Amino acid sequence: MRAAGLRRRSTAVRRWLEHHALSLTAIATAGVLAVMLYLPVGVVFVNAAFDDGVATLAFFREVLTDPFYVGVLADLFAEPLAVRAHLESLLGWLAAVSVSISLEYPIPGVPLPIPWPSLETPGIRTGLFGFTAYQAALSTVASVALGLPAAYILAKYEFRGRRTLRSLTILPFVLPGIMVAVGFYAMFGRTGTLNQLLGIAGLGPYPFIEWNPLAIVIVAHAFYNAPLVARVTVAAWESVDVRTVETARSLGASPRRAFRDVVVPQLLPAVLTGALLTFIFTFMTFPIVLALGGLQLATVEVWIYDRVRRLAYSEAATLAVLETVLSLGLTYAYLRYESAQSGLARGATSPSRTPLFPDLRTALSPRRVAIVGYGILTLVVFVGPMASLVVGGVTDGSGFTTRHYAFLLERQLEGADYQTLPLVAIRNSLLFGLATLVVAVPMGIVVSVVTVRADRGGAIVDTLAMLPLAVSGVVFGIGLLQGLVFGIPLPGGWRIQVTGAVAIVAAHAVAAYPFVTRNISPLLANLDPAMVESARALGASRYRALRDVELPLVASGIVAGAAFAFAISIGEFSSTVILASGGDTYTMPVAVERYLGRRSGPAIAMGTVLLVITAASFVVVDRVGGRFEG
Amino acid sequence: MTGLSLDGVSKVYGGAGVTDGPDSGTVALEDVDITVRDGEFFTLVGPSGCGKTTTLRAIAGFEAPTEGAVRFDGREMTGVPPEERDVGVVFQSYALFPHMTVAENVGYGLRFRDPPDGATADDRVAELLDLVDLEGMGDRDPEQLSGGQQQRVALARALAPAPDLLLLDEPMSALDAQLRESLRRQVKRIQSELGITTVYVTHDQAEALAISDRVAVMNGGRVEQIGRPQEIYREPATRFVAEFVGDNNVFDAAVRSRDGEYGRAEVGGETFTVPVVDGSDRVTFCVRPGGLARSADRNRLTVRVETSEFLGETVRVNGRWNDRRIVLRLDEVPDGDELTVGFEPDDAHVVDPR
Repeated sequence: MRAAGLRRRSTAVRRWLEHHALSLTAIATAGVLAVMLYLPVGVVFVNAAFDDGVATLAFFREVLTDPFYVGVLADLFAEPLAVRAHLESLLGWLAAVSVSISLEYPIPGVPLPIPWPSLETPGIRTGLFGFTAYQAALSTVASVALGLPAAYILAKYEFRGRRTLRSLTILPFVLPGIMVAVGFYAMFGRTGTLNQLLGIAGLGPYPFIEWNPLAIVIVAHAFYNAPLVARVTVAAWESVDVRTVETARSLGASPRRAFRDVVVPQLLPAVLTGALLTFIFTFMTFPIVLALGGLQLATVEVWIYDRVRRLAYSEAATLAVLETVLSLGLTYAYLRYESAQSGLARGATSPSRTPLFPDLRTALSPRRVAIVGYGILTLVVFVGPMASLVVGGVTDGSGFTTRHYAFLLERQLEGADYQTLPLVAIRNSLLFGLATLVVAVPMGIVVSVVTVRADRGGAIVDTLAMLPLAVSGVVFGIGLLQGLVFGIPLPGGWRIQVTGAVAIVAAHAVAAYPFVTRNISPLLANLDPAMVESARALGASRYRALRDVELPLVASGIVAGAAFAFAISIGEFSSTVILASGGDTYTMPVAVERYLGRRSGPAIAMGTVLLVITAASFVVVDRVGGRFEG
Repeated sequence: MTGLSLDGVSKVYGGAGVTDGPDSGTVALEDVDITVRDGEFFTLVGPSGCGKTTTLRAIAGFEAPTEGAVRFDGREMTGVPPEERDVGVVFQSYALFPHMTVAENVGYGLRFRDPPDGATADDRVAELLDLVDLEGMGDRDPEQLSGGQQQRVALARALAPAPDLLLLDEPMSALDAQLRESLRRQVKRIQSELGITTVYVTHDQAEALAISDRVAVMNGGRVEQIGRPQEIYREPATRFVAEFVGDNNVFDAAVRSRDGEYGRAEVGGETFTVPVVDGSDRVTFCVRPGGLARSADRNRLTVRVETSEFLGETVRVNGRWNDRRIVLRLDEVPDGDELTVGFEPDDAHVVDPR
């Protein structure tokens, strides 16, 4: 009797748990987000808006009226009501702009005059924010310029390895920024592969990075974001219904005209999406600029990091708030734009592809030659840095060497506790990666489930849950540091304090789960809602329906999302470098940056190790064949 | 077995959840009263957006009514989740689980409810596959089956746990016409063999008349009429039902004189003898195409022929009279542009009597 009663009760508990599993996970997710995302961001805002517990706008005023930060806009913020004076200075500036056309001989040694328009503008002080936006804009232009031809080739031509190449466009997403930076170092640095190649021809060495660090940073940004532009554009291109083009042709449009009238309008949203995302990402750029440009090229993000290192928390928080407001605005624009575009072109017949090199004669046509030229360019930009990384790990200026790896080994064996040990970094990275997986995947799934089926409420949850995309790692890192790591006093003598590994995993999970959601949501949205309802009518609880029906059907998205989460954790640098300072919770990217401080060799070797591990998680992504139309 | 009732059920999306007033949202259902008897085959029919699917979903528990109650055998079901309602649902899309075999699909509900009569789950699955003529197909994947076969798997899956109610949401509309008719007969046969109370949703009024014990015609979130198919066809209660169910000719007339049950009513300058109701000087009546005959010598009207459709047994003639569309049923394609027909007063049926 007792046993039966007990069993009945335990079944009742199980039933209750099962019925509420979904809401319990949702509450847990909301809790994690509240404590680990909103609280830190809130702490940053509070730090920027309160001085010793008194609300103040003084910090903002200081920043906004300082030409160092906002350039010419400082006057405007200082005296917003002096409209007349501002207009006069604007007119004066416009009056000084001149456009001229001159004959130039751009190719040395060739007397070919080309009319060269030039725009003369009087100098303008852009300030830190202006420069950040400027380099983001240049990076966006470079990324679109480099990405669009790739989209064209992938969408229009069939060739061996096309599918592989298409899936490779996801690679930059999982490549740690610091590693890419080191790859560019290995390629363009004084002892880099480029100088070694030039050395064979008896030239150099040239200090490329010192000559024009901004150009190298922009190429590195293009390395990151051009594939993103290509990816979203190819996806749009493939969903263009070929029948719409055929209809235009039958109505009298030439192929070129049909392309302009029918295809371009359908591609434009995708290109703009890619450009907007690129701008957001490069506006918040951190590891690449930190490693390649340093403080002389400081973006807002790098400067914030520098302020934190100098313990100027209020200034850092103020800058962080301003940056977050800007990036939130951009991200909001992106989300609005994306939702306005969704739902187009469904069930379309995709256009057929022509072979890239059908025979020798067409292979020499101008178009094919241009494609080959572009191919070589992409090889240099994309394969160059990664190959240089691997090569740079085993060479120095004078040939093959194992001393970089030997340094790592020696450091591991003989290094002091306070030094950065390679194995500890690798172990930390792997452990944090796994822990991130465990936390981020359920979070991502729950957010997907909540947002995909709900209508208006879902959109709000979606926006709130996508906040991590808009809050930079550094900002988030400060929030965590000042909020949870230092501890927040609660009434009654309690304290919320989260430190060390837990804080890092939380930061990684919060950064990673949007990618889980982004991988699962499209698959989930494509499932017939009647399947869940059928399961429910057959007796399954909402949780059972999720477990038995939805999750198995979106398994590829879950695995891909998990691999993403892992890779993002492995590569995360911005918040980790803040949270790991002074402890033994540093990860591989942090170790790379620390080694970079002295000689580049060990950093390059460490970067290679990071590359191998990241590549392994990419292989998982590719094997599962998940979707990455993020 | 189970009877079912909907008592004053309303469903409003958005707004303040009220059906009228300044704060009203989108009204999907308005004061729906339906009683389905034990073992009955009951059909909800209407144009798209009429609320028939919302009604079915309220019965299944996928939608909560804003007002009113759904009762199974008098038991109020408000707040009871779908998985505890003991209903079998078949959707238009079939919603088979693609990652499960046919047998796993059919057996899914048996993970939560024991098969009836102490049978094992495997036996029950085999029995159901047998019932829908798919014996031996259990190991196939759903996508290996044709549309009609998938439909039958969905039916078997819904029936496997021996539900109290079977709910079918446009289950045939993705199939071609011939298959639809044979499946319809099979569904009807299985339903009467099992004696299971069934609610069927369709937009196809001919299907509704062919298959049902009783039909509810819905429009704009309201029930226009509930009745046996013959009643619905012969004695439509409203103008909407008259026009929605089958071909019909509806006339709005002004009553000029009365003589007992009948009166003289004028439409577009012509006067007809038709049944009238007391107390109104207007009457709306309808005459089925079959009621308009060349041989009838009362209530004559001359119709200008526009198109003829040859349907095999009969010919449907679409024409115009007095700027009104007129539909006729003839045995032969008419020669000539005009055609004079008439109707007996008793072939006119008054709708919307006020």
